[in-house]
Amino acid sequence: MNLKVKMIIGFLLCSSMLIAQDLTVTGLVKDENNVPIPGANVVVLNTTRGTQTDFDGSYSIRVSSGEVLQFSYIGYETQTVRVGENTTINITLAEGVNRLEEVVIVGYGTRKKIHLTGAVSSVVNDDLDQLPVARVDDALVGQIAGVNIQATEGEAGSAPTIRIRGTGSITGSSSPLIVVDGLVVEQDFLTNLDMNEVESFDVLKDAASAAIYGSRGGNGVIIITTKQGKEGDTRFSYQGYTGFKEARQSDSYYFSVAETAQMELDATGVISNRTAYKQQIGVDRDWQDVIFDGGTITSHSISARGGTKKTKFSASIGFLHDEGVLLTDNFRRYNARLKVDTQVNSRFKVGVNLAPSYSLRRRFDGSTHDILRQAPWLPLYHDENTIQYVDRNVYPDVQVGDYAVQRHFDNFDLFGDGSVLQDISNTSNTNPAAKVLERDRNDYKFKLAGNAYAQYKIMDGLNVRIQLAGDYQNTYRNRWQGVLSNRNGAAAASLDVSQENRFHVVSENYLTYDKVINGHDISAIAGFSVEKWDYIGNATSASGYSSDLIRTLSAATLIESTSSYTFAERFQSYFARVNYAYKDKYLASVSYRRDGSSVFGGDKKFGDFPAASLGWRVSEEDFLKGNDVVSDLKFRFSYGFTGNKDLDTDVGEVDFYPSLALLGPSSATIEGDITPAIVALNIANPSLQWERSREINPGVDFGLFNNKITGSIDYYNRTSDQLLLNNPVSAASGFRNALVNIGEVVNSGWEVEFRTRNVSTPNFRWSTTILASMNENELTNFGDADGLIQIVDDKRAAEWINLVGNPISSFYGWVVDRDIPIEYLNEPFHPVGGEAQDVYVKDLNGDGLIDDDDKTILGNPYPDLVWSVSNDFKFHNFDFSFLLQGSHGAEIRNMGDQYLFNHFNSGQDFNTSVTPDQGFIRQKIFTNDIIQDASYVALRNVNLGYNFPKDLADKLGLNSLRLYAAGQNLIYVTADGYTGFNPESINTTSPTTYGYQRAGSPIFRTISLGLNAEF
Amino acid sequence: MESKKFNVMKNLKYAGYFLFAALLVSCDKDFLEPEPETAITSDTYFLNDEQIETGIIGMYDAIQGVNSNNFDDNFGIQREFYVTEMRSDNTRTKSQEGEAAEFETFAINTNNGTVANYYASFYAAIARANLVLDNIGNASADMAPVFEGEAKFVRAYAYFNLVRLFGDIPLITESVGPTDERLFSRVATSTIYELIVTDLETAAANLDNSFKNRGSRAAAQGLLAKVHLTLGNYTSAQSLCESIMTSGEYSLQSDLREVFYNEGNDEVLFAIGFTSDNGNESQNYSAEMLNSVGRTVGVNYVTDEAREALDALGGERTQYSYRQDVAQPTQYQVVKYLPNGDANLGIDPTSTDPTSAGNDWIVLRYADVLLMHVEAILAGGQETSVPAALSSFQAVRDRAGLTDPVSSITKQELLDERRVELAFENHRFFDLIRFGVAQEVLTAFSNDNGYTFSASDLLLPIPQREINLSNGGLTQNPGY
Repeated sequence: MNLKVKMIIGFLLCSSMLIAQDLTVTGLVKDENNVPIPGANVVVLNTTRGTQTDFDGSYSIRVSSGEVLQFSYIGYETQTVRVGENTTINITLAEGVNRLEEVVIVGYGTRKKIHLTGAVSSVVNDDLDQLPVARVDDALVGQIAGVNIQATEGEAGSAPTIRIRGTGSITGSSSPLIVVDGLVVEQDFLTNLDMNEVESFDVLKDAASAAIYGSRGGNGVIIITTKQGKEGDTRFSYQGYTGFKEARQSDSYYFSVAETAQMELDATGVISNRTAYKQQIGVDRDWQDVIFDGGTITSHSISARGGTKKTKFSASIGFLHDEGVLLTDNFRRYNARLKVDTQVNSRFKVGVNLAPSYSLRRRFDGSTHDILRQAPWLPLYHDENTIQYVDRNVYPDVQVGDYAVQRHFDNFDLFGDGSVLQDISNTSNTNPAAKVLERDRNDYKFKLAGNAYAQYKIMDGLNVRIQLAGDYQNTYRNRWQGVLSNRNGAAAASLDVSQENRFHVVSENYLTYDKVINGHDISAIAGFSVEKWDYIGNATSASGYSSDLIRTLSAATLIESTSSYTFAERFQSYFARVNYAYKDKYLASVSYRRDGSSVFGGDKKFGDFPAASLGWRVSEEDFLKGNDVVSDLKFRFSYGFTGNKDLDTDVGEVDFYPSLALLGPSSATIEGDITPAIVALNIANPSLQWERSREINPGVDFGLFNNKITGSIDYYNRTSDQLLLNNPVSAASGFRNALVNIGEVVNSGWEVEFRTRNVSTPNFRWSTTILASMNENELTNFGDADGLIQIVDDKRAAEWINLVGNPISSFYGWVVDRDIPIEYLNEPFHPVGGEAQDVYVKDLNGDGLIDDDDKTILGNPYPDLVWSVSNDFKFHNFDFSFLLQGSHGAEIRNMGDQYLFNHFNSGQDFNTSVTPDQGFIRQKIFTNDIIQDASYVALRNVNLGYNFPKDLADKLGLNSLRLYAAGQNLIYVTADGYTGFNPESINTTSPTTYGYQRAGSPIFRTISLGLNAEF
Repeated sequence: MESKKFNVMKNLKYAGYFLFAALLVSCDKDFLEPEPETAITSDTYFLNDEQIETGIIGMYDAIQGVNSNNFDDNFGIQREFYVTEMRSDNTRTKSQEGEAAEFETFAINTNNGTVANYYASFYAAIARANLVLDNIGNASADMAPVFEGEAKFVRAYAYFNLVRLFGDIPLITESVGPTDERLFSRVATSTIYELIVTDLETAAANLDNSFKNRGSRAAAQGLLAKVHLTLGNYTSAQSLCESIMTSGEYSLQSDLREVFYNEGNDEVLFAIGFTSDNGNESQNYSAEMLNSVGRTVGVNYVTDEAREALDALGGERTQYSYRQDVAQPTQYQVVKYLPNGDANLGIDPTSTDPTSAGNDWIVLRYADVLLMHVEAILAGGQETSVPAALSSFQAVRDRAGLTDPVSSITKQELLDERRVELAFENHRFFDLIRFGVAQEVLTAFSNDNGYTFSASDLLLPIPQREINLSNGGLTQNPGY
């Protein structure tokens, strides 16, 4: 509240003394957690009298009996009480929407929500910090329509995949831009951000809103704002939880010797020697139990926030430990943040924000597909029983307690008479658990992010803001592959270490102008920024270790390779925006940004990104004003341009300098000497330029029945063209890929948000939120590359097609006709869990033979519908909430099946001498046999909490105390035919070959207990 | 008023600080054009002899390939044995599994990654040779012919391998952009051979015999001799072989073991060099050919047929050609490239880590030249007793301890001699074709082993990836 308002209130208070008031009403204003609210407004309706609550939330006001008191505070629902006889009126304000005052952050400023003309969604961190997840982006699942967050990797601390309104780019990244306290950061930054520090998320979904971020807004923008101190007593709070995580296993990937033996007996009437031997060993395990070992997650966070009228501060420290559900994966994070803002004088305001953090992440250094395909009869370690099967001719030194390896069991004299020397191994690999346990791979990250700003009031409404922000990041990685991790023993023991220092600095300077003149509400910004990134790093690989004892580079006898690099990127921008509202009724916004990047060459360096949007709040028109049904109604329309400049070619030099023909160092061995060479690194593209998106977004926001039901409906159509693609080129050119601008992708769809307050009584409240988004992706132009067929793995060359008229990265191949009957397989019951490699496919064009012309599109990896329903209940001091979330229509190519069902084993081949119609047989991986429905419905979050009554909390010396229990993914239902353990898991491949799952890591359930206390 | 003035001053001071900070990062004139520090731009390089020579070395780097298991990396010559030796009756995979087994069974998929990798690898070598040739104008008058000869040697060597494996192929003789039509049109083998012959003639004229891991006159002559034998130009081939033989710079080692384990010996005309225990310079084929040492389950294992031939005709060569697999005694391994040695054979380990082996790959050696000499004199006939042929033939057999004098050589005897002398050196498949017996021999071999050989299997499929990119420009070889 500024001085002027205070003076007015003071004057009014004085003048009101003149009127006769017979009562002095006093009381306390609290929130639902029994925390006093200082600074709440208390006014007498239809008068000019009013006051504010003090630091303890108490107030005192003189009124006449029969007058009506109104209590209000930003972020809470306004309440009115008629004054009767009682002179003590205590009020509990419910958190909620004071819709007229609600503001959202739109980049370089804020805007009243009712004035918004674009598609912007906000999530306030009310209880997201109670979700037992290690990352802030993990907590956003199901919170915002049109924002799809997928747990593509399940390792502790690993980043989910975020898509806003679908996949618009075919380069390395369709990830949204992430801005934390005004600083553009990489998604990796969120690894080290503590949810307890976060105040809110604001998501700019349409191009017109994101256009203020210009060349980087093409995939939407997520703005994260950290908590700020408030005027008042310093409040300390503790937030903590601890939970248990457990992996969701796949029944299809459970293989058992006993079951296979039974199947063999049923089919053939006998148990083969191989199977008999497997049974004799007496081990029958599910390797999922071994590598999905579950874990705990624990978080502690302490903060202190407060301030005076002039200076406000927020300080917090946090610790999180997530053991993950995989063997060896482990994530620890330590973080702190200090944020101080101070009003130096009436014109000058300065602030700093500093956040150091440190994280340690031990990786699961293996592949689930590689481990889970191992035989169930294989022991983990040899014991007195299993040691007797070891082939002593080949393995004389194996002892009890050593890792068991399949080959140890070769040449077993099954009948003790030398008549049968039985083999059962199907791999010469080492023990699967050893591959993980005997490796030690860690990422250590230190980050320091911060900013300092100064704001100067030039004149009323006109401010200049100068901000210097940046982040420094040091990443150290090491990877020890121990003596026992590889079948080749000490010879294969190795150490890789790498280090990267990244400096990122941005200077932003802009003017802001905010003024309301006769109902014309103008808010404008104009400014420029310069930004630079420097990357300095090195990597070394060493080997020649004789033991696991000393795991340093010094202990290595061989340095196999070393490398170092230095890259720089520069960025320069000019931007301006005018937001306009007339009487909260007619709304408009116009913005423009011009970005220049060092990545592009010559005259392609700069790109222009304009946007405009309009809105009309029909509910403010006379004919709707005061309507009983329609309390709020706004139509809006936006149109804008954004861009994308991300490249990911795997060659750093090419990503930073793609317009130049680059040469780099290499070498060859000439007459025994390593001799330096210089070789070409790329096919240069001097005319490479921004990828560009344009989007229209009509939408409607509404509130019905006194805003008991609110919501919005948006349609969008985003056309991305000049797509940056590391396009495959003929290898006869000497290269396999070249960067080009090519093609056009259209994402269009609907987003719906409904929020209802079903019951709203002092003791029982129930609200519901329903979100849904539908997206359709279509490649509308792909130049010469139309119909481009690509593969991920040369050895398992399943195909993707990028064909105009279809979604990008569609699965391509033959259609399954029928299975090959088991009697035609060479050895259908070995290995355990083996399934036929091949299948009969359909002759789609009926020409009597199977060839490329019989291939067709088999599906695509993008969901058609993503939805969530959440319900919040409050009953006295208890509250309960749950979030159901689902995704439908996406498919994945589950290459995990090929590995886990041992397709490649010769036992699973068909017998070429007896199998009919061999011309119609193809490998399953080339068909829709492994294309699976990735739909799911999940009970994502459940939270049951209890807020201690104020007096009880007081006795404990606390301001407030909350206990809660939470669960995540307690129910997780996948589609029929999905065989894996995580339909969201997708391996990293190129965007034109998206949707490749190779077992991956599992979805997990978490059950946690938490405690929040304020004192 | 005094205090207000002070405030303005103070405010200006603050503003100054921040403006200074803001401008610190922005006043560079070429702000948006940072120079790459870890790469050179091509317009500032290949301007003199020294720089061009680094481009020359880059060609051999391409042939070396990357010691990796990632198919995005070019493996270069490191997996050549898949597309040559494993398609002959000499070797196969140990376990007959996966994509690797497609070669021995003659059931190669058009998507086969090893085939695509070989194609990419040797076109990458061609591109690096073309890059040198594009910049040859910047070389000194002395060095220009030498660089030209060497680049053309490598280019011809790469085309000779490709044309024999794939048939008609794109002909690229300069640096091209990604949309160049030439990338997508198959040129007749006869036209490819014209380039190979003229390139090798230039190389033979311009180079001397200074190197064994780089092109040399003798290497160019030897390779050209083989080209001429392939084309049926026996007279030319004979004189090229004799030119090498009379140079006096090459000779047979007394012991076959020395050929492979004493690198840089006088028998080698051209070998691809590797350095052990070095990530950039080592190779993995040595380990892949063994059991449980490399990353695969064991490839290039010796067939029964090759073993029988070596047992019958190998003489002292046999022990240095194959051995029993200790871990699986029914299987037999190649011993010409052991990374971890063999105490019984007196071979020391060549590297600490078997997958980072340093054993060179010999492309052309003197014994091959001597046997080509015999082949040239035989000139497509069935038998010869020309003394010059007998002498060359005898020299090779003498070294193997087979000293009984030879009085005549049949075509079959020459083929058999080549098989046992040059076993597992990626010659057998091409020899069968050149001797005109590939169909007959491989059909019999295929029938004996339950494989599915047909005449069209003598050419590899054009990689499906290339066909997909060509918009109909490239057609597939028959039978795929």
